[in-house]
Amino acid sequence: MTAEFDATVESEAAPLGVSARPPRSLTRASWPIAITGAVLALVPLWLGDSRLMMGLAVDALVFGAYAIAFNVIFGSTNQLFLCVGALAGVGGYASAILADTAELPMAVGLALATALATALGGLLSWVAVRRSLGVIFTGIVTLAFSLSFGNLVLGQRELTGGETGLVVAAGDGTFLRDRVAAYYLFLGMLVVFLVVFRALQRSHFGWAFRALRDNELAAELAGVDVARYRIYAGLIGSAMLGITGAVFAHSDGFISPSTFEFGHVDVRVLVMLAFGGLGTLLGPVVGTVVFAVLDELLIDFGQLRTVVYGLLIIALFLGFKRGAVPAVADLFRLLVRQARSRLGRQRLPAAPARRRPDHPSEGG
Amino acid sequence: MLEASGLSAGYLGENVVEGVDVQVAAGQAVAVIGSNGAGKTTLFRALCGMLPVSAGRVRFDGEDITGRPAHRIARAGLAYVPAERHLFPGMSVRENLLLGAYPGRPDPSAFEVVLDLFPRLKERRKQPAGSLSGGEQQMLAVGRALMSRPRLLMLDEPTTGLAPKLARSAYEALQALKETGVTLLVAEQQVPLALALADRGYVLENGRIRLEGASKDLERNPEVRRAYLGVA
Amino acid sequence: MTAVALDGIVLGLQFGLLGVGMTLIYGLGGVLNLAYGQAAVLAAMVVAITLTAGAPALVAAAAGLLAAAAGGVVIDRTLMPPVYHQRGEHRVLLGLLLTLGVAFVIDGLLLWRYPTGALRLEIGGEAVPILGVRMRVGSLLASGISLAVGAILLLFFRATTLGRAARSVIQDEVGARLVGINPAAVRTFIFALSGALAGLVAVTRSMTSPVSVTAGFDFTILALIVAVVGGLGSVAGAFLAGVLLGIVSTVSAFYIGQYITTIVLLAAAALTIVMRPRGLLGR
Repeated sequence: MTAEFDATVESEAAPLGVSARPPRSLTRASWPIAITGAVLALVPLWLGDSRLMMGLAVDALVFGAYAIAFNVIFGSTNQLFLCVGALAGVGGYASAILADTAELPMAVGLALATALATALGGLLSWVAVRRSLGVIFTGIVTLAFSLSFGNLVLGQRELTGGETGLVVAAGDGTFLRDRVAAYYLFLGMLVVFLVVFRALQRSHFGWAFRALRDNELAAELAGVDVARYRIYAGLIGSAMLGITGAVFAHSDGFISPSTFEFGHVDVRVLVMLAFGGLGTLLGPVVGTVVFAVLDELLIDFGQLRTVVYGLLIIALFLGFKRGAVPAVADLFRLLVRQARSRLGRQRLPAAPARRRPDHPSEGG
Repeated sequence: MLEASGLSAGYLGENVVEGVDVQVAAGQAVAVIGSNGAGKTTLFRALCGMLPVSAGRVRFDGEDITGRPAHRIARAGLAYVPAERHLFPGMSVRENLLLGAYPGRPDPSAFEVVLDLFPRLKERRKQPAGSLSGGEQQMLAVGRALMSRPRLLMLDEPTTGLAPKLARSAYEALQALKETGVTLLVAEQQVPLALALADRGYVLENGRIRLEGASKDLERNPEVRRAYLGVA
Repeated sequence: MTAVALDGIVLGLQFGLLGVGMTLIYGLGGVLNLAYGQAAVLAAMVVAITLTAGAPALVAAAAGLLAAAAGGVVIDRTLMPPVYHQRGEHRVLLGLLLTLGVAFVIDGLLLWRYPTGALRLEIGGEAVPILGVRMRVGSLLASGISLAVGAILLLFFRATTLGRAARSVIQDEVGARLVGINPAAVRTFIFALSGALAGLVAVTRSMTSPVSVTAGFDFTILALIVAVVGGLGSVAGAFLAGVLLGIVSTVSAFYIGQYITTIVLLAAAALTIVMRPRGLLGR
């Protein structure tokens, strides 16, 4: 069988990929993050009165944090971690159990829980790297982990409350239980995560991640230590997930297996990023906002909500290889370029390089 | 038997082959010679339906097969052995050959003929195709194509990866084939071998036919001698 | 103990049949079909509806199988072309995501229309003693069907022209075209076959215990585990893995508990991938 060398002619090489050049927004100052933070900070002024709405807003931010973490792990280094919810759940359950049952101070429990999630995620990355597991096998292994965690929680009923869930006492009486305060805390975390992501993008890590994303073989040949960067991404992303899950547990006061299950968390994060743009800085934020709204709109639809999500997944992954938002942004840029060329100020880019002639016609 | 008129084809909107006219009469052996990049492979792919045709027509036994999908052309009696061979690496030699006869049931006599032609394959018939040497894979590729008892056999650089002695015996086998009535169309960089086998030849250069004629005439042609036969 | 073992084998043969459809579509189509379980549930619902409408059992079963197979054809013809355009890992990933979407659509629709739907086929007859254990006729029939189908599939793919042709497409698509095989037709056939197998699983499973409309994802995960442990693409592997895991599962559930059992099965798949990716009998 002939080896297939993907030329770096975009789409075919990496259907969910990121382009080689860094997104424009990074080359400018930190204003995208600042503006995002500022805009989102205004939300409580609008929704602050309704406890229900603020609760939903907090949920949305939590998912945003999850999405950024997933962006670090999958968006940057192509590790299909289908255990986003589970890693957050490790943080959440561990922190709650340590604080309530083991009676450790909440901060200590939180730190330990985050460390546990980080370690588990790092372990998964390490195993995937050591055994050279491709995207699919990594996905299956992490999915197995995710489902196992869910079953573990359900099985250890005395410790975790099983299916009925766990009331988290620690955190009660603190500012965490106030929805508006919690909102700002999570917003702060979100901003920090964005800053971390951006720092990663601009650093040596970021360059390595992008090279890895586009053409792993070439990156390795160029000296990029794929293994090391993958594990780092796994560790950082998992830490984000763990701490978010832990803080959420103490802030919300109640967690159950369904809070962190695959169908509830991972699928949504996947769709959010598919829409907002995998590997982009603000992709998770855009996805978060859109899906928070969408979720609200669909609340009355019951089971049909699942159908809508399914259709969205299909449409998004069929239509937009890098995310709906980047596709629209690209279209916009193309239109601008064409307009400019008509004004004679800039030549159109040259025709794409000829692809290697090994493409049989799609007959029948 | 095979006729291409004004054929143009290429990749991503750019033509590699332009305005090519080729005729292969039944029972003949025709060679297409040219250096690397001349467009031989592109031409062959266009002829057998592996590559869409951007202009011109291809006729097989009077029937217009332009644009027909490759698998239908294969079933019509045109067998193509590409340079990359495209064997089924995980399947045994035997299975590869059996599939050559698709969709018909494999003809035991065809099987015998092929194994007699390539005794090495007989020894290795249970082995996976991927474990064969280059020469053996080439034999298998040709053998597989023969299983369908094609009327026209197209071979793209059949001597690829073959040591000179093997290349010569490959052409001896092709000669034997020709004598059984199989029409041959061969693209080749090793010009002397090709012209020795063929009745007629085409010289392809930069995607266009530069010369054509009886192979004897081509052998004597000074341009051909200089460019392809290494003679001053 | 014998009873547990025999139960394990019965369950294992169902596992095997479940895994076969998934392993075929990955091994021959290069797609991880996450809507597989939903195909089974869809078939179950069609059978249930047809039975309620008064049709004889065999007709209902056929209707279910046909519905699932037809579903497979529809998915293959409408959604899969861009997937097949990709190669290798990209194909699996895109296929995985698209079929996940399909899974949600089918799941949502079925749950919306038949929120409490379930299929249960009662097979009458006296319990038959096997090795001193009284086995229900339903279990025996289900096991017999699984074995028979497994044998037929093995024979089909090893020794028939069509089966060989089906195997060749994933090996070398260009090569397949060259010998006159139409890859698109083969892939549609595989999807249809996989759907029919999913339907058959639903029918045979319902002979031993109810198949609920919510069982979709459970079936898919189970099928995936069996296919991975057996070796993606191997029919014999799927059955071998199925029986082994069936026995392990039954023993574990009997002596330990349900949740641990699920974890054990998941761990089996994960360990296989990490230790021996080609599974038991895969290449």
